[in-house]
Amino acid sequence: MTKIVAITACIAGIAHTYMAAANLKKYAKKEGDEIKVETQGAMGIENKLSSQDIKDADVVIFAVDTSISGKERFVGKKVLKIGTSEVIKDGDSAIKKAEDLVNGKKQ
Amino acid sequence: MEKQNSFLTKDNIVLNLDAKSREDAIAQLSEVLYKNGIITDADKFTRDVLKRESMTTTGIGKHIAIPHGKSTAIKVPSMVFAKNKTPLKWNSLDGSKVTMIFLMAVSTNNGDKEHLKMLAHLSGKLMDDSFVSKLNKANKTKDILNLLED
Repeated sequence: MTKIVAITACIAGIAHTYMAAANLKKYAKKEGDEIKVETQGAMGIENKLSSQDIKDADVVIFAVDTSISGKERFVGKKVLKIGTSEVIKDGDSAIKKAEDLVNGKKQ
Repeated sequence: MEKQNSFLTKDNIVLNLDAKSREDAIAQLSEVLYKNGIITDADKFTRDVLKRESMTTTGIGKHIAIPHGKSTAIKVPSMVFAKNKTPLKWNSLDGSKVTMIFLMAVSTNNGDKEHLKMLAHLSGKLMDDSFVSKLNKANKTKDILNLLED
């Protein structure tokens, strides 16, 4: 089981942010991984990751198309950066890439 | 009396849209938003949505597109859902042609959080295969409303 934390954010903050969050959760569940997703969208920051969440995480996924706030919280963590569209198109491979990062496999 | 949370009514659903292209669909549905009193300038809104569309496609796959635009004139975030008669080219992520369109309209200054929340919730549901398959099969306004408001 991999512990994942993620941030999703898109340009308009209306749809892709929340679709990407839903898809990450869906495929993490399929893989038996634990995931917490913070959304930074039109409603502001929701489900904000705590410092404990981040500390405990094996890997961080930034599914973002724009700049995000609070990036400094993730210094020293393994980070997978990916666009929201990629996550929406293929959530499965996004989760697997994150797992590979934890296991030290080459991207 | 109108329901407190009646985010969507039959005015938000268009069955048998007869658009011939992505641009045509967005223009026709912008007209619907205009008639519903959501936006004040359909042409300008159409242009804004197409500008957003040019940055990255909103064809999210499985025959669904979610074009969207922001405007200062929007008081209450809203959307219109349409099923088009013929599949439209939309440069979709999975290459599929689009038959189901959600046109979302949101205020630039984020007035109404309740409705934004519903749009966000709906966006998340689009990742659920069984929801999409039900939506694909539904062909009555009432059934679609029930699905969207669930």
